[in-house]
Amino acid sequence: MNDNSTPLLQLDSVGINFGGLRAVDDLNLSIKKGDVVGLIGPNGAGKTTVFNLITGVYKPTDGVIRWKGEPISGLPPYRIAQRRILRTFQTIRLFSGMSVLENVLAGQHMETHQTWLSGLLSLPKQRREEKALRKSCMEILEQLDLASIAHEEATSLPYGIQRRVEMARTLAAKPELLILDEPAAGLNDSESVELNKTILGIRDQGVTVILVEHDMNVVMNVTDHICVINFGRKIAEGGPEDIRNNPQVIEAYLGSDDDDDEEAA
Amino acid sequence: MEIFFQQLANGLTVGSIYALIALGYTMVYGILKLINFAHGDLAVLGAFIGLTVITSLTGAGAAPSHWVVILAFVVAVLVVAIAGVLLELTAYRPLRHAHRLSAVVSALGASMLLENGIMLIWSPQTLTFPEGILPSTNYVIGGVVLNSTQILIVAISFLLMLALYLYVNKTRFGTAIRASAIDQDAARLMGINVNRVIVSVFILGPALGAIGGLFIGIYYRQAVFDMGWIYGLNAFIAAIIGGIGNIPGAMLGGLLLGLFNSLAGGYISSTWQEAITFALLILILLVRPTGILGERVAEKV
Amino acid sequence: MKKLTSTWAGLLLWVLGLLLVPLFADNNWIFIMSYFAIYAVVSLSQDVVLGRAGMYDMGHAVYFGIGAYTTAILNTQYGVPILWTLPIAVVVSALFGALLSAPIVKLRGDYLLVATIGFNEIFHMALVNDVGGITGGPDGIYGIEAPSLFGHQIMSQGGIFVLNWILLGIVLLLMNNLENSRLGRVFRYLKEDELAATTLGVNARYYKILAFALGAGIAGAAGTLFTSLLQSVSPGAFVFTESVTLFAIVIVGGQASIPGVLLGAVLMFVVPQVFRDLAEYRYFVFGLAMIVIMVLRPQGILPRRRRLE
Repeated sequence: MNDNSTPLLQLDSVGINFGGLRAVDDLNLSIKKGDVVGLIGPNGAGKTTVFNLITGVYKPTDGVIRWKGEPISGLPPYRIAQRRILRTFQTIRLFSGMSVLENVLAGQHMETHQTWLSGLLSLPKQRREEKALRKSCMEILEQLDLASIAHEEATSLPYGIQRRVEMARTLAAKPELLILDEPAAGLNDSESVELNKTILGIRDQGVTVILVEHDMNVVMNVTDHICVINFGRKIAEGGPEDIRNNPQVIEAYLGSDDDDDEEAA
Repeated sequence: MEIFFQQLANGLTVGSIYALIALGYTMVYGILKLINFAHGDLAVLGAFIGLTVITSLTGAGAAPSHWVVILAFVVAVLVVAIAGVLLELTAYRPLRHAHRLSAVVSALGASMLLENGIMLIWSPQTLTFPEGILPSTNYVIGGVVLNSTQILIVAISFLLMLALYLYVNKTRFGTAIRASAIDQDAARLMGINVNRVIVSVFILGPALGAIGGLFIGIYYRQAVFDMGWIYGLNAFIAAIIGGIGNIPGAMLGGLLLGLFNSLAGGYISSTWQEAITFALLILILLVRPTGILGERVAEKV
Repeated sequence: MKKLTSTWAGLLLWVLGLLLVPLFADNNWIFIMSYFAIYAVVSLSQDVVLGRAGMYDMGHAVYFGIGAYTTAILNTQYGVPILWTLPIAVVVSALFGALLSAPIVKLRGDYLLVATIGFNEIFHMALVNDVGGITGGPDGIYGIEAPSLFGHQIMSQGGIFVLNWILLGIVLLLMNNLENSRLGRVFRYLKEDELAATTLGVNARYYKILAFALGAGIAGAAGTLFTSLLQSVSPGAFVFTESVTLFAIVIVGGQASIPGVLLGAVLMFVVPQVFRDLAEYRYFVFGLAMIVIMVLRPQGILPRRRRLE
């Protein structure tokens, strides 16, 4: 297998049980470098669970997740983050009581080299690094138009801005694969147009993106490839146009007249 | 083998007392997610009040009458239940929405206050309980000495636990208690007066605790102001072993811990008995932090 | 510049205390100030674990005790001069901090709290039962030398005071540096949202153990000074109640707030020294105060001022 054909991320019949509930079942998914992939499906379909499996928050009951061909399932979240697989959360998880800048500094954790001892002793090299970190954080904030609020408390900002701060924090960690969990939730129209541009801009920098999203404007405009899941199983996959016209997808969203079909799907 | 059965009988007695006290910890934790550090001291308060009632109504050297003993239990239960409710209203309720640690420190403060209050009111010395509060006849069965006090303590504890179990599982108000433990907000939306439920838990728990404390005094024939700490901690460990928040778990945990302590003290080392108990606790926390009957809860992400 | 002024104010107070007290105060006050410096250091070390890294450690007296006993044993059994035992006490305590915490840092909130109570009880019992024949049992160890510097024994209360005050100064400086380093930030990230931190590449387990080791090491240093101040150690100083007091100092004073923790140490350790005649009311009053302060100021008396950078 040469490098071009090895997918960046591959889920190989991945499944997970919660007690008796099969939340994700036999899921196969292959993501190419540079793509923007949409993961859609009705509420409770298991989309966020898939993200939790990829990022190591949950360990799959069966199946394997591979990153550049190497199995990563079962690794703790921080080891997966070290492979530059980074995520945002459906319910924004910013650090409260800390400024926007301090939140983005968290994203630079892996870019920071100072030892704990040099920090405690405040050695000159450590102080220089702290300065440099702040500078590069400010650059990221400027890119996302957040520089003016760098010193405000992150969790007291409006919802849409908090989403952007979380995105900035994740970008500061230099992702190769960026996982966005409902990035448009709670955004107004102009903010979501802005989001489309941001996502495409991120892709243009060579970052691969997977996103879960209900806002079809976002999904249809930014994704190259869409995977639809329902009841933890993949029911369709293809380009935005194919998915738009796929009867099974329409049925999953709108519900069928016959309940038995739902079980079958 | 006789020693084994003897330790078993002793362990069962102590275990049922632990279980009585453990119920108070587990009910409060179940609803408020708060370790009520003062609970052990409430139990001790029960022992001292009971002792005071008995000694003040009984002539020196005479055995207390049945009525005096019953009165002692009733007064102890009433006073301690009132103390429990006062504790909830003054030290815990105002902190319902504060950071969890504020309530923890308030509970630790309440424990210090009660323990040292008991010392200031009664005595810093160990007080002796008179003989014959409960009938004390020895029965020898196959070399094992069973005392009627032991039998009574175990029997009454079991009856009380059964009553509580039925109350919580078979009555309407019991359902409200269980619902509040699962989800306070949802319970409130269903029209349950959660504050009333919490007050009731601060009546039931301390009431059972007072009986447990009085049993300790009667069984060991002594009480000292700071014993709430070690009995309270053992009862709390019992609650964790059974699965904190789980009422049958507290009963099971109490009995198991009583037996374990008794056997560990008898067979391994009595000087290290408490350390062994704590080692067991840490082991359980590492292997199965939710206890024997507790349910595992996945964190919602 | 605001940041600087508060640091300078702290420095100024520290220097004033250092210079004025030995000149004007009587021996009793110098002793109390020495005693305060030691407990201020222990409280700050408790705050590293509890207030900064957010772990409910209710057995911190263990590490204070390990430092104190390390010094006592090394000095009485092997004749090691007191000040030489200081780095050893720091390392031994830090090692115990790491070893004891390693299996339990995965436990959530109250479970961790209960496990640390267990450690404290086992530790106390080990001291009382004279494990290995080196702890002196319930009576502890006495006959410990006074510290010596450049061959001169520091016999005066004033000299010991200066020594303790210097350690307090160093620890205050370390706490100030901690605020401006990755280590301090990571502690806060873990305290606020461990999951978010780990998905950004933070090895939570490593940093939690590090927090315990750091807190334990600092407490160990205080243990050395405690031993040299009293020239004896006994198990009573490291019981669970002491851990509760340290825990309460941080919450009552204000988590991750240096002025708050120092004020807490004054309330819980200095005030009882001043009112020694009323010793039997000490814990009764403490208990009452803990409830009243929590109800009136749940964030602590001097909560951390939000310093956003």
